[in-house]
Amino acid sequence: MPLAGESLVHDQAASRPQASLLDIFWTFLKVGLTSFGGSTRAIMHNEAVERHGWLDEKDFLAGFAISQVLPGANPVNLALYIGLKVRGALGATIAVCGMVVPAFCVIMTFGFLYRQFGSLPATHYVLEGVAAAGVGATLAVGIKVTTALPRDVVTILIALAVFATVGILHWPMVPIVLVSVPVSIAAAYAREKKADRA
Amino acid sequence: MLDNRLIGLLIVFAPLSLLSFGGGQAIVADIQHQTVEVHSWLSNAQFTDMYAISRAAPGPSTLVAALIGYQVAGFLGAFVACLAIYVPSSAVVYAATSWWQRHRVSPIKTAIERGLAPIAIGLIFAGALAVVEAAGAGPLSLATTAVATAVLYTTKTSPYVVVGIVALVYLGLQFAGV
Repeated sequence: MPLAGESLVHDQAASRPQASLLDIFWTFLKVGLTSFGGSTRAIMHNEAVERHGWLDEKDFLAGFAISQVLPGANPVNLALYIGLKVRGALGATIAVCGMVVPAFCVIMTFGFLYRQFGSLPATHYVLEGVAAAGVGATLAVGIKVTTALPRDVVTILIALAVFATVGILHWPMVPIVLVSVPVSIAAAYAREKKADRA
Repeated sequence: MLDNRLIGLLIVFAPLSLLSFGGGQAIVADIQHQTVEVHSWLSNAQFTDMYAISRAAPGPSTLVAALIGYQVAGFLGAFVACLAIYVPSSAVVYAATSWWQRHRVSPIKTAIERGLAPIAIGLIFAGALAVVEAAGAGPLSLATTAVATAVLYTTKTSPYVVVGIVALVYLGLQFAGV
């Protein structure tokens, strides 16, 4: 229901509450610690759009696109975007800290435990299993994203070339990415133009 | 010595921050390459452990940088690596947000989105391969990966559930003396 959504959006924009920095920090602290994997987006939407009314639907979607396309962890990028929209530079900083600091503390605890027990054979054995499962999670995401790629020779060749040079040949990643990004964007741009004309 | 390591962490992770399209998975291959092969900060076994811990912990997967920083140069190392992995990408997002708002729909925007996708995909698979190589994966690991991939691809199971179950199974196998 786009029309109802539009009017809601305008009402919200007119009476959008001023968010307190503490609110922002607390919200993203909750998001950072409770969201596992793919649920982050839903939780952020729930908190920022529905609960606090900090953003409207359109702004949230724009932020989601930005957070995915640009480098950096997607949830952290989205938090930064929301913080920036709501309270400027300070809000952005607070939002990112809310996401990162508690998770940082948890992983430091894990790191500390690893220092104590890392030399036990059982630790490495179990972690090897966890790593294998982690690779499985990565592959599942990779396959899902791959099936969404346009079936187009240049796109597939670029993906294969990046995989072969970085993954198999162990070439350094920075120059590979610096070369492949402009080539790939130019190819995508040419394809868009051609599709427009067709 | 410690200063050198802190600067080294900065030099390794700050550029990777700008290349982490789609998050931490895209830079796993180069993190392995830099920390194990180039700088010899970690053994392949330690790298595999760090990767595993970061997969089991809540929060963004890029936090593997903090974990490696801690292993390499203590708490200060973790802090430096954390800043190095978040500040550059955050600066880009910050700058891009205003630009993006002004160009809601433009062909260049679409081209950037579509153009980055195959590179992210190539890097994601390269990262998976890097971990498999670093772990020196045997038949059990490969089977675990295959099952985890199949379960996560075909069902909506949370990765954390799969990771948790695998950890318990391996713990059981270890104590059973397999």
